[in-house]
Amino acid sequence: MSTQPVLDMCLSSRVIVTCGTGGVGKTSVAAALGFEIAQQGKRAIVITIDPARRLADAIGLGEGTGNEIQRVPLDTTGELWVTMLDVQETFDSLVRDTSPTPERAKEVMDNSFYHSLSRSLSGTRDYMAAERIYDLCEDERFDVIIVDTPPSRNALDFLESPERLARFLKHPIVKFMVAPSRGGFRLVNAAMQPVLKAISTVVGGDTLTGTAAFLRAFDGMEEEFSRRALVVAATLRSASSSFVIVTAPSRDALTEADHFVAELSRLGISLKLIVANRMPPHFGSLTATEEHSMAQSQSGDLARVHELIAGLHDDADRADSDIQAFIQRTSVAFPSVSTAFASELATDIHDMDSIGALAQQLAAPPTQQ
Amino acid sequence: MELHPFFTAQRVLIVAGKGGVGKSTVAASLAHLSARSGLQTLLVTLDEPANGLPHHELLEQITVSPGRALADYLATKGLGLISRQLARSGIMELVATTAPGLDDLLVLGRIKAFENERPNGVIIVDGPAAGHALDLVRAPVQLKRAIGSGPISQQADEVLTMLGDPARCKVMLVTTAAITPVTETCEAAEELMEKAHIALAPIVVNKCNPEVPRVDEAILLPSTREAYKYLSLRAEAQSEAIGVLTDSLEQSQLHLTQHHSDGTILINAISDDLEQAIRDLP
Repeated sequence: MSTQPVLDMCLSSRVIVTCGTGGVGKTSVAAALGFEIAQQGKRAIVITIDPARRLADAIGLGEGTGNEIQRVPLDTTGELWVTMLDVQETFDSLVRDTSPTPERAKEVMDNSFYHSLSRSLSGTRDYMAAERIYDLCEDERFDVIIVDTPPSRNALDFLESPERLARFLKHPIVKFMVAPSRGGFRLVNAAMQPVLKAISTVVGGDTLTGTAAFLRAFDGMEEEFSRRALVVAATLRSASSSFVIVTAPSRDALTEADHFVAELSRLGISLKLIVANRMPPHFGSLTATEEHSMAQSQSGDLARVHELIAGLHDDADRADSDIQAFIQRTSVAFPSVSTAFASELATDIHDMDSIGALAQQLAAPPTQQ
Repeated sequence: MELHPFFTAQRVLIVAGKGGVGKSTVAASLAHLSARSGLQTLLVTLDEPANGLPHHELLEQITVSPGRALADYLATKGLGLISRQLARSGIMELVATTAPGLDDLLVLGRIKAFENERPNGVIIVDGPAAGHALDLVRAPVQLKRAIGSGPISQQADEVLTMLGDPARCKVMLVTTAAITPVTETCEAAEELMEKAHIALAPIVVNKCNPEVPRVDEAILLPSTREAYKYLSLRAEAQSEAIGVLTDSLEQSQLHLTQHHSDGTILINAISDDLEQAIRDLP
């Protein structure tokens, strides 16, 4: 195992994907990895979805910046850039890129079904995430692309989005709706008619006609969509991509981390690094037992303070053993996985200095932990 | 405040909060406490049943899955039989894509049905994970806009009536006492009240650290001093966050302490904390 796993990963990866549940500091870790890459003289971009407001402010992502790419001012030879995923904007530019004529692009974008598709469907978001990664991989301004996945159990769904889209577009009902249709739904084959009728009683006839119009306008464009998505899927499964699980030592965070380990195994993707973030810090040389007994020999406020400090020691010890157990479990599936540690700060991360401090902790050789 | 008026102040209580704040544990503990206080209680979870829910004769648990709700609904519309021939998932995807939010609406429709079936029961809903509560409650409005009339539109109207009536439904937001989740909670509260017109129950501030008494640092051992400084700083950050919450939202707050257990032990501990916090409400 490497003595500097984080540094090695930062220098050898084209794409780094961070995953983890909410509240574990995933976006901060993604930003810290980008910071570390910039420190090493390379150019990194962090793409994030829906960051917490204060963190967004800290890394220079204000409200409504959409897909805009912004450089974080840093005193380094390398560069750190950040951007968000705007699903609508990504979809629009994808449609413009792939449609045979500007008129066809307009026809697709004017369709009401297109709007509901790009706004509300989570599958579309996954798909556009893949599309954005494709774009950034093609962009020569960046050496490393760091993908901060959304804090959801289904965060890795975007890896399978090309297959899902292809399956959807190849479905008999969809193919049928796209098929030559000068007579609209009247000249349809007998098997499909009752299905469409039933669907239209659920969603309304106008909605269904709009959908059919969209699918026809879209016809043919999906091949380029799928090609790009497959390129991304191949990149993410190649050796130049590194997957990172970020976790906190709490029981519920570790349960979710176990879930991500299982997902990566299922997808046949190897896990490069575990970041044990928000670890309760250890203080001084006294043990929890010694603090507890000091508490007993004191009274009033002082006894209470020692009691609370004993509690801090207990927290730190418990966190250590819970994290070690998680690492043990995970290394069964991924024997070469490394771990980096970062301690819980008394206050939230809210500026670039604290991101830099986090990067320093992550990059520290494991012996210092 | 006594427990019964607290739990019967509305028919349906939707518990919502971002990942990591302990939303599901709080929802399970609320349901357990309600049953323990002698009220017939239903805990509704989405997708997965609650982990470690203690057994109680007045407590029932039902899991509603959005995908399942949509499949059942399509079956009642005559698509069940046909869709078996044509690979059900494809039809589901087409309908879900054509009418986004339909599955969310159907989940709310189920909850409304539970409310009708249990005129005297308390219903606690462990809302969707990762802050999708807003999407859930916005679904009826969006669908109504997309689909002008018909059974879905009527369903949406009925759900909206339930959501908009504070005697029937309230949302309980759960946060932790740190500035980032508090800021997000305030934003969510504003959106729920102003855009979705939903009333809020008291806010739960979960995983609070204990207060730290002030002592003279000089009398502490050097090794203890560092730890004491950390504790004080953390307590200061916590009270700053609670201050922001108090200044931004007029709802009262239920403060729960940090526990390190899980499963049934944790739910019992949080139920005790909740009981104390509710009794302390004016």
